[in-house]
Amino acid sequence: MTTARDWLDRIRALKLDRPVKIMNVCGGHERSITSAGLRGALPEAIRLIPGPGCPVCVCPEEDVYQAMQLALQDRVILVAFGDMLRVPVNVPKGEVRSLVEAQAAGADVRPIASPTEARRIALENPDRPVVFFAAGFETTTAPVAAMLAEGAPSNLYILLSGRLTWPAVAMLLESEAPGFDALVAPGHVSTVMGPEEWRFVVEAHGLPAAVAGFTPESLLAAFWSVLRQIGSGARFLDNCYPEVARPGGNKTAQRMLDTTLEVVDANWRGIGVIPKSGYALRPAYAAHDARLHFPDHSAPGRRRAGEMPPGCDCARVVLGKLMPSECRLYGRACTPRTPVGPCMVSDEGACRIWWSGGVREPAKAD
Amino acid sequence: MCLAIPMRVESVEGHLARCQAKGVFRDVSLFMLQDEPVAVGDYVMVHVGYAIQKVAEAEARSAWELYDQLLAANGPGDSPPS
Repeated sequence: MTTARDWLDRIRALKLDRPVKIMNVCGGHERSITSAGLRGALPEAIRLIPGPGCPVCVCPEEDVYQAMQLALQDRVILVAFGDMLRVPVNVPKGEVRSLVEAQAAGADVRPIASPTEARRIALENPDRPVVFFAAGFETTTAPVAAMLAEGAPSNLYILLSGRLTWPAVAMLLESEAPGFDALVAPGHVSTVMGPEEWRFVVEAHGLPAAVAGFTPESLLAAFWSVLRQIGSGARFLDNCYPEVARPGGNKTAQRMLDTTLEVVDANWRGIGVIPKSGYALRPAYAAHDARLHFPDHSAPGRRRAGEMPPGCDCARVVLGKLMPSECRLYGRACTPRTPVGPCMVSDEGACRIWWSGGVREPAKAD
Repeated sequence: MCLAIPMRVESVEGHLARCQAKGVFRDVSLFMLQDEPVAVGDYVMVHVGYAIQKVAEAEARSAWELYDQLLAANGPGDSPPS
Protein backbone atom coordinates (compact mmCIF):
# COMPACT_ATOMS: atom_id res chain seq x y z
CA MET A 1 0.00 0.00 0.00
CA THR A 2 1.21 3.50 -0.78
CA THR A 3 1.77 5.33 2.48
CA ALA A 4 1.03 8.97 3.29
CA ARG A 5 4.80 9.59 3.21
CA ASP A 6 5.03 8.15 -0.34
CA TRP A 7 2.16 10.34 -1.52
CA LEU A 8 3.77 13.43 0.04
CA ASP A 9 7.06 12.63 -1.69
CA ARG A 10 5.27 12.25 -5.01
CA ILE A 11 3.44 15.53 -4.54
CA ARG A 12 6.62 17.37 -3.54
CA ALA A 13 8.34 16.04 -6.65
CA LEU A 14 5.72 17.63 -8.92
CA LYS A 15 6.81 20.83 -10.63
CA LEU A 16 4.08 23.40 -10.08
CA ASP A 17 4.50 26.59 -12.08
CA ARG A 18 1.74 28.40 -10.24
CA PRO A 19 -0.24 28.16 -6.99
CA VAL A 20 -3.05 25.61 -7.05
CA LYS A 21 -6.22 25.82 -4.98
CA ILE A 22 -7.91 22.50 -4.19
CA MET A 23 -11.40 22.69 -2.71
CA ASN A 24 -13.04 20.05 -0.56
CA VAL A 25 -16.77 20.06 0.14
CA CYS A 26 -16.99 17.80 3.16
CA GLY A 27 -16.53 18.51 6.85
CA GLY A 28 -15.10 15.01 7.28
CA HIS A 29 -12.39 15.77 4.72
CA GLU A 30 -11.60 19.08 6.35
CA ARG A 31 -11.32 17.40 9.75
CA SER A 32 -8.87 14.79 8.42
CA ILE A 33 -6.82 17.44 6.61
CA THR A 34 -6.62 19.63 9.69
CA SER A 35 -6.10 16.83 12.17
CA ALA A 36 -3.31 15.20 10.13
CA GLY A 37 -1.68 18.59 9.52
CA LEU A 38 -1.76 18.12 5.75
CA ARG A 39 -1.76 21.86 5.02
CA GLY A 40 1.62 22.28 6.68
CA ALA A 41 3.02 19.15 5.05
CA LEU A 42 2.22 20.15 1.47
CA PRO A 43 4.28 22.58 -0.61
CA GLU A 44 3.27 26.19 -0.07
CA ALA A 45 1.96 26.55 -3.62
CA ILE A 46 -0.85 24.12 -2.81
CA ARG A 47 -3.75 25.71 -0.98
CA LEU A 48 -6.47 23.50 0.48
CA ILE A 49 -9.79 25.35 0.60
CA PRO A 50 -12.67 24.17 2.78
CA GLY A 51 -15.82 24.74 0.69
CA PRO A 52 -19.54 24.06 1.19
CA GLY A 53 -19.23 20.94 3.35
CA CYS A 54 -21.41 21.72 6.33
CA PRO A 55 -25.19 21.25 5.98
CA VAL A 56 -25.88 22.67 9.43
CA CYS A 57 -24.01 25.86 8.48
CA VAL A 58 -26.28 26.54 5.48
CA CYS A 59 -29.54 25.37 7.04
CA PRO A 60 -31.92 28.32 6.59
CA GLU A 61 -32.15 30.55 9.63
CA GLU A 62 -35.93 30.61 9.07
CA ASP A 63 -36.06 26.82 9.44
CA VAL A 64 -34.20 26.92 12.77
CA TYR A 65 -36.58 29.69 13.90
CA GLN A 66 -39.60 27.63 12.78
CA ALA A 67 -38.30 24.55 14.62
CA MET A 68 -37.90 26.64 17.79
CA GLN A 69 -41.44 28.01 17.51
CA LEU A 70 -42.89 24.53 16.92
CA ALA A 71 -41.24 23.44 20.16
CA LEU A 72 -42.11 26.61 22.11
CA GLN A 73 -45.58 27.48 20.81
CA ASP A 74 -47.05 24.29 19.36
CA ARG A 75 -45.55 22.18 22.16
CA VAL A 76 -44.36 19.42 19.85
CA ILE A 77 -41.56 17.05 20.74
CA LEU A 78 -38.80 18.47 18.56
CA VAL A 79 -36.02 16.04 17.67
CA ALA A 80 -32.91 16.92 15.70
CA PHE A 81 -29.32 15.81 15.21
CA GLY A 82 -27.25 17.24 18.07
CA ASP A 83 -25.36 19.64 15.81
CA MET A 84 -28.51 21.69 15.17
CA LEU A 85 -29.32 22.51 18.77
CA ARG A 86 -26.87 25.35 19.30
CA VAL A 87 -27.27 27.04 15.91
CA PRO A 88 -28.32 30.63 16.66
CA VAL A 89 -31.11 32.60 15.00
CA ASN A 90 -31.32 36.38 14.80
CA VAL A 91 -33.57 37.63 17.57
CA PRO A 92 -33.33 40.62 19.92
CA LYS A 93 -31.05 40.15 22.92
CA GLY A 94 -32.72 38.25 25.74
CA GLU A 95 -35.02 36.21 23.49
CA VAL A 96 -34.61 32.48 22.96
CA ARG A 97 -32.06 32.17 20.16
CA SER A 98 -31.44 28.45 19.68
CA LEU A 99 -33.08 25.09 20.19
CA VAL A 100 -30.94 24.45 23.24
CA GLU A 101 -32.19 27.71 24.75
CA ALA A 102 -35.76 26.70 23.85
CA GLN A 103 -35.12 23.47 25.74
CA ALA A 104 -33.89 25.44 28.75
CA ALA A 105 -37.08 27.52 28.50
CA GLY A 106 -39.15 24.37 28.93
CA ALA A 107 -39.65 23.16 25.36
CA ASP A 108 -39.35 19.42 24.69
CA VAL A 109 -36.27 19.36 22.48
CA ARG A 110 -34.36 16.10 22.16
CA PRO A 111 -31.11 15.36 20.34
CA ILE A 112 -31.13 12.15 18.32
CA ALA A 113 -28.46 10.19 16.49
CA SER A 114 -30.63 8.44 13.91
CA PRO A 115 -33.97 8.75 12.07
CA THR A 116 -34.87 5.44 13.73
CA GLU A 117 -34.81 7.28 17.08
CA ALA A 118 -37.29 9.83 15.74
CA ARG A 119 -39.59 6.94 14.85
CA ARG A 120 -39.11 5.30 18.27
CA ILE A 121 -39.90 8.56 20.12
CA ALA A 122 -43.05 9.02 18.00
CA LEU A 123 -44.15 5.45 18.75
CA GLU A 124 -43.55 5.95 22.48
CA ASN A 125 -45.59 9.18 22.48
CA PRO A 126 -48.62 8.38 20.32
CA ASP A 127 -50.67 11.25 21.79
CA ARG A 128 -48.12 13.96 20.93
CA PRO A 129 -46.86 15.31 17.63
CA VAL A 130 -43.16 14.69 17.08
CA VAL A 131 -41.27 16.88 14.60
CA PHE A 132 -37.96 15.66 13.21
CA PHE A 133 -35.96 18.71 12.11
CA ALA A 134 -33.65 17.10 9.57
CA ALA A 135 -30.78 19.04 8.06
CA GLY A 136 -28.13 17.21 6.09
CA PHE A 137 -26.58 16.46 2.76
CA GLU A 138 -27.42 13.41 0.63
CA THR A 139 -25.70 10.92 2.95
CA THR A 140 -27.88 12.01 5.86
CA THR A 141 -31.07 12.70 3.90
CA ALA A 142 -31.11 9.19 2.40
CA PRO A 143 -31.65 7.56 5.84
CA VAL A 144 -34.50 10.05 6.46
CA ALA A 145 -35.99 8.92 3.14
CA ALA A 146 -35.47 5.27 4.09
CA MET A 147 -37.28 5.80 7.39
CA LEU A 148 -40.21 7.39 5.52
CA ALA A 149 -40.23 4.63 2.91
CA GLU A 150 -40.25 1.95 5.61
CA GLY A 151 -43.22 3.63 7.27
CA ALA A 152 -43.38 6.49 9.76
CA PRO A 153 -45.92 6.70 12.63
CA SER A 154 -48.81 9.07 11.88
CA ASN A 155 -47.69 11.50 14.63
CA LEU A 156 -44.21 11.93 13.12
CA TYR A 157 -43.61 15.00 10.94
CA ILE A 158 -40.44 15.97 9.10
CA LEU A 159 -39.17 19.55 8.94
CA LEU A 160 -36.79 18.80 6.11
CA SER A 161 -33.77 20.98 5.34
CA GLY A 162 -31.92 18.42 3.23
CA ARG A 163 -29.47 19.75 0.68
CA LEU A 164 -27.57 18.41 -2.33
CA THR A 165 -23.83 18.99 -2.39
CA TRP A 166 -23.05 19.25 -6.08
CA PRO A 167 -25.35 22.21 -6.98
CA ALA A 168 -23.34 24.49 -4.65
CA VAL A 169 -20.16 23.46 -6.43
CA ALA A 170 -21.88 24.01 -9.79
CA MET A 171 -22.98 27.47 -8.65
CA LEU A 172 -19.40 28.36 -7.70
CA LEU A 173 -18.06 27.03 -11.00
CA GLU A 174 -20.62 29.03 -12.94
CA SER A 175 -19.72 32.21 -11.07
CA GLU A 176 -17.09 34.66 -12.29
CA ALA A 177 -14.54 33.68 -9.66
CA PRO A 178 -14.98 30.05 -8.51
CA GLY A 179 -11.91 30.37 -6.29
CA PHE A 180 -10.46 26.91 -6.89
CA ASP A 181 -8.55 24.97 -9.56
CA ALA A 182 -9.47 21.41 -8.63
CA LEU A 183 -12.04 19.54 -6.57
CA VAL A 184 -11.75 16.74 -4.05
CA ALA A 185 -15.22 15.21 -4.07
CA PRO A 186 -16.86 13.85 -0.91
CA GLY A 187 -16.45 10.13 -0.25
CA HIS A 188 -19.66 9.26 1.53
CA VAL A 189 -21.93 11.46 -0.58
CA SER A 190 -20.41 9.55 -3.52
CA THR A 191 -20.96 6.23 -1.74
CA VAL A 192 -24.70 6.95 -1.75
CA MET A 193 -25.15 8.96 -4.95
CA GLY A 194 -22.34 7.46 -7.07
CA PRO A 195 -19.01 9.10 -7.97
CA GLU A 196 -20.39 9.88 -11.45
CA GLU A 197 -22.33 12.78 -9.94
CA TRP A 198 -19.07 14.78 -10.01
CA ARG A 199 -18.30 14.25 -13.71
CA PHE A 200 -19.73 17.67 -14.51
CA VAL A 201 -16.75 19.31 -12.81
CA VAL A 202 -14.48 17.75 -15.41
CA GLU A 203 -16.79 17.65 -18.40
CA ALA A 204 -18.58 20.99 -18.12
CA HIS A 205 -15.86 23.04 -16.43
CA GLY A 206 -12.56 21.38 -17.37
CA LEU A 207 -11.36 21.09 -13.77
CA PRO A 208 -9.68 17.97 -12.41
CA ALA A 209 -11.62 16.13 -9.73
CA ALA A 210 -11.07 13.10 -7.51
CA VAL A 211 -13.31 11.36 -5.01
CA ALA A 212 -11.48 10.86 -1.72
CA GLY A 213 -11.98 8.85 1.43
CA PHE A 214 -11.06 10.09 4.85
CA THR A 215 -7.62 8.67 5.59
CA PRO A 216 -4.60 10.92 4.91
CA GLU A 217 -3.53 8.35 2.29
CA SER A 218 -6.79 8.62 0.37
CA LEU A 219 -6.85 12.42 0.57
CA LEU A 220 -3.20 12.71 -0.50
CA ALA A 221 -3.86 10.29 -3.38
CA ALA A 222 -6.68 12.59 -4.49
CA PHE A 223 -4.48 15.70 -4.21
CA TRP A 224 -1.76 13.98 -6.20
CA SER A 225 -4.30 12.93 -8.84
CA VAL A 226 -5.67 16.42 -9.41
CA LEU A 227 -2.22 18.03 -9.27
CA ARG A 228 -0.90 15.59 -11.84
CA GLN A 229 -3.90 16.30 -14.04
CA ILE A 230 -3.15 20.01 -13.82
CA GLY A 231 0.49 19.34 -14.79
CA SER A 232 -0.29 16.99 -17.65
CA GLY A 233 -3.37 18.71 -19.05
CA ALA A 234 -5.32 15.46 -18.83
CA ARG A 235 -8.74 15.73 -17.25
CA PHE A 236 -10.77 12.96 -15.67
CA LEU A 237 -12.76 12.12 -12.59
CA ASP A 238 -10.52 9.96 -10.44
CA ASN A 239 -11.78 7.76 -7.62
CA CYS A 240 -9.38 7.43 -4.70
CA TYR A 241 -12.01 5.72 -2.50
CA PRO A 242 -13.06 2.85 -4.79
CA GLU A 243 -13.44 0.31 -1.96
CA VAL A 244 -16.46 2.23 -0.64
CA ALA A 245 -17.62 4.74 -3.26
CA ARG A 246 -18.55 2.25 -5.97
CA PRO A 247 -19.78 2.96 -9.50
CA GLY A 248 -23.43 3.96 -9.43
CA GLY A 249 -23.49 4.37 -5.66
CA ASN A 250 -26.21 2.79 -3.53
CA LYS A 251 -29.13 2.35 -5.93
CA THR A 252 -31.50 1.26 -3.17
CA ALA A 253 -30.84 4.47 -1.24
CA GLN A 254 -31.28 6.54 -4.41
CA ARG A 255 -34.60 4.84 -5.10
CA MET A 256 -35.82 5.67 -1.58
CA LEU A 257 -34.75 9.30 -1.98
CA ASP A 258 -36.56 9.48 -5.28
CA THR A 259 -39.71 7.77 -4.02
CA THR A 260 -40.22 9.94 -0.96
CA LEU A 261 -38.56 13.27 -1.83
CA GLU A 262 -38.30 15.64 -4.75
CA VAL A 263 -35.45 17.96 -5.64
CA VAL A 264 -36.42 21.63 -5.37
CA ASP A 265 -34.80 25.07 -5.47
CA ALA A 266 -33.54 25.74 -1.96
CA ASN A 267 -32.26 28.54 0.19
CA TRP A 268 -28.78 28.35 1.75
CA ARG A 269 -28.28 30.54 4.80
CA GLY A 270 -26.44 33.73 3.97
CA ILE A 271 -25.97 32.58 0.36
CA GLY A 272 -29.43 32.58 -1.21
CA VAL A 273 -31.40 30.23 -3.40
CA ILE A 274 -29.43 27.61 -5.34
CA PRO A 275 -31.47 25.92 -8.08
CA LYS A 276 -32.32 22.24 -7.57
CA SER A 277 -30.24 22.03 -4.40
CA GLY A 278 -32.76 20.91 -1.78
CA TYR A 279 -35.12 18.11 -0.90
CA ALA A 280 -38.84 18.38 -0.13
CA LEU A 281 -41.35 15.65 0.73
CA ARG A 282 -43.36 14.39 -2.22
CA PRO A 283 -47.16 14.88 -2.12
CA ALA A 284 -47.61 11.17 -1.30
CA TYR A 285 -45.84 11.88 2.01
CA ALA A 286 -47.63 15.18 2.71
CA ALA A 287 -49.17 13.69 5.87
CA HIS A 288 -45.66 13.71 7.38
CA ASP A 289 -44.63 17.16 6.13
CA ALA A 290 -44.22 19.53 9.08
CA ARG A 291 -44.27 22.48 6.66
CA LEU A 292 -47.84 21.63 5.66
CA HIS A 293 -49.17 20.47 9.01
CA PHE A 294 -48.14 23.29 11.38
CA PRO A 295 -48.63 27.06 11.32
CA ASP A 296 -45.91 29.09 9.62
CA HIS A 297 -44.20 31.10 12.35
CA SER A 298 -41.95 33.04 10.01
CA ALA A 299 -42.92 36.43 11.55
CA PRO A 300 -42.75 38.76 8.54
CA GLY A 301 -40.40 41.66 9.10
CA ARG A 302 -38.32 39.87 11.73
CA ARG A 303 -34.99 41.65 11.69
CA ARG A 304 -32.15 39.85 9.85
CA ALA A 305 -34.40 36.84 9.15
CA GLY A 306 -32.51 34.36 6.98
CA GLU A 307 -29.17 36.03 7.44
CA MET A 308 -26.05 35.02 9.28
CA PRO A 309 -25.60 36.69 12.69
CA PRO A 310 -24.32 40.30 12.62
CA GLY A 311 -20.60 40.48 11.86
CA CYS A 312 -20.44 36.76 11.06
CA ASP A 313 -18.65 35.76 7.85
CA CYS A 314 -19.84 32.14 7.80
CA ALA A 315 -21.41 32.55 4.36
CA ARG A 316 -18.09 33.49 2.79
CA VAL A 317 -16.30 30.77 4.75
CA VAL A 318 -18.81 28.18 3.48
CA LEU A 319 -18.17 29.28 -0.11
CA GLY A 320 -14.40 29.07 0.34
CA LYS A 321 -14.02 32.82 -0.23
CA LEU A 322 -12.53 33.33 3.20
CA MET A 323 -10.45 31.04 5.40
CA PRO A 324 -11.99 30.52 8.86
CA SER A 325 -9.27 32.43 10.70
CA GLU A 326 -9.73 35.38 8.32
CA CYS A 327 -13.20 36.07 9.75
CA ARG A 328 -13.32 39.20 11.91
CA LEU A 329 -14.91 37.26 14.76
CA TYR A 330 -12.78 34.08 14.66
CA GLY A 331 -11.09 33.47 17.99
CA ARG A 332 -12.25 36.86 19.27
CA ALA A 333 -16.02 37.01 19.77
CA CYS A 334 -16.52 33.57 18.22
CA THR A 335 -15.14 30.38 19.76
CA PRO A 336 -16.74 26.93 20.29
CA ARG A 337 -17.60 28.00 23.84
CA THR A 338 -19.46 31.11 22.66
CA PRO A 339 -20.13 30.51 18.97
CA VAL A 340 -21.57 33.38 16.96
CA GLY A 341 -22.01 31.64 13.60
CA PRO A 342 -22.99 28.11 12.60
CA CYS A 343 -19.49 27.32 11.23
CA MET A 344 -18.24 27.47 14.83
CA VAL A 345 -21.21 25.47 16.13
CA SER A 346 -21.26 22.42 13.89
CA ASP A 347 -18.66 19.67 14.07
CA GLU A 348 -18.57 19.97 10.29
CA GLY A 349 -18.11 23.73 10.27
CA ALA A 350 -14.68 24.78 9.03
CA CYS A 351 -14.25 27.25 11.92
CA ARG A 352 -15.01 24.64 14.54
CA ILE A 353 -12.64 22.17 12.85
CA TRP A 354 -9.80 24.70 12.61
CA TRP A 355 -10.27 25.70 16.24
CA SER A 356 -10.25 22.03 17.38
CA GLY A 357 -7.18 21.53 15.20
CA GLY A 358 -5.30 24.19 17.15
CA VAL A 359 -5.69 27.29 14.95
CA ARG A 360 -6.28 29.84 17.70
CA GLU A 361 -5.05 33.06 16.16
CA PRO A 362 -7.18 35.25 13.90
CA ALA A 363 -5.39 35.83 10.59
CA LYS A 364 -5.21 38.87 8.36
CA ALA A 365 -7.03 38.40 5.07
CA ASP A 366 -4.63 38.36 2.13
CA MET B 1 -22.23 14.47 9.74
CA CYS B 2 -21.47 12.80 6.42
CA LEU B 3 -18.92 10.53 8.06
CA ALA B 4 -19.85 6.86 8.11
CA ILE B 5 -18.28 4.40 10.55
CA PRO B 6 -17.55 0.78 9.62
CA MET B 7 -19.16 -1.83 11.89
CA ARG B 8 -19.19 -5.63 11.98
CA VAL B 9 -22.56 -7.36 11.68
CA GLU B 10 -23.09 -9.58 14.73
CA SER B 11 -26.70 -10.68 14.15
CA VAL B 12 -29.46 -9.98 11.64
CA GLU B 13 -33.21 -9.95 12.09
CA GLY B 14 -35.16 -8.77 9.08
CA HIS B 15 -33.92 -5.27 8.20
CA LEU B 16 -32.31 -4.80 11.58
CA ALA B 17 -28.74 -5.77 12.45
CA ARG B 18 -26.87 -5.74 15.71
CA CYS B 19 -23.49 -4.29 14.79
CA GLN B 20 -20.26 -3.78 16.64
CA ALA B 21 -17.25 -1.53 16.32
CA LYS B 22 -14.41 -1.85 18.79
CA GLY B 23 -16.66 -3.24 21.51
CA VAL B 24 -19.47 -0.72 21.00
CA PHE B 25 -22.79 -2.26 19.91
CA ARG B 26 -25.54 -0.50 17.94
CA ASP B 27 -28.79 -1.43 16.24
CA VAL B 28 -28.36 -0.65 12.57
CA SER B 29 -31.01 -0.52 9.87
CA LEU B 30 -30.21 -2.56 6.77
CA PHE B 31 -33.15 -1.02 4.92
CA MET B 32 -30.89 0.75 2.40
CA LEU B 33 -28.99 -2.49 1.75
CA GLN B 34 -32.11 -4.62 1.29
CA ASP B 35 -31.22 -5.44 -2.32
CA GLU B 36 -28.03 -7.26 -1.40
CA PRO B 37 -27.41 -10.06 1.09
CA VAL B 38 -25.91 -9.02 4.43
CA ALA B 39 -24.72 -11.79 6.73
CA VAL B 40 -23.15 -12.12 10.16
CA GLY B 41 -19.46 -11.31 9.88
CA ASP B 42 -19.93 -8.77 7.09
CA TYR B 43 -18.72 -5.21 7.54
CA VAL B 44 -20.96 -2.25 6.74
CA MET B 45 -20.44 1.53 6.68
CA VAL B 46 -22.96 3.00 9.12
CA HIS B 47 -24.23 6.57 9.00
CA VAL B 48 -26.92 7.90 11.41
CA GLY B 49 -27.98 4.34 12.24
CA TYR B 50 -28.26 3.14 8.64
CA ALA B 51 -25.88 0.89 6.74
CA ILE B 52 -25.05 2.67 3.48
CA GLN B 53 -22.57 0.18 1.96
CA LYS B 54 -20.88 -3.16 2.54
CA VAL B 55 -17.10 -2.97 2.83
CA ALA B 56 -14.19 -5.37 3.14
CA GLU B 57 -12.68 -6.03 6.55
CA ALA B 58 -9.41 -4.33 5.55
CA GLU B 59 -11.28 -1.10 4.74
CA ALA B 60 -13.07 -1.26 8.10
CA ARG B 61 -9.77 -1.65 9.94
CA SER B 62 -8.07 1.29 8.22
CA ALA B 63 -11.09 3.50 8.92
CA TRP B 64 -11.13 2.52 12.61
CA GLU B 65 -7.46 3.40 12.85
CA LEU B 66 -8.16 6.81 11.35
CA TYR B 67 -11.10 7.56 13.67
CA ASP B 68 -8.99 6.62 16.69
CA GLN B 69 -6.47 9.21 15.59
CA LEU B 70 -9.15 11.84 14.99
CA LEU B 71 -10.71 11.21 18.39
CA ALA B 72 -7.32 11.38 20.06
CA ALA B 73 -6.62 14.67 18.27
CA ASN B 74 -9.97 16.38 18.74
CA GLY B 75 -11.86 14.59 21.46
CA PRO B 76 -15.39 13.43 20.77
CA GLY B 77 -17.45 16.07 19.05
CA ASP B 78 -21.04 17.08 19.69
CA SER B 79 -22.30 14.82 16.93
CA PRO B 80 -23.34 11.32 17.72
CA PRO B 81 -20.79 8.82 16.41
CA SER B 82 -23.19 6.87 14.25
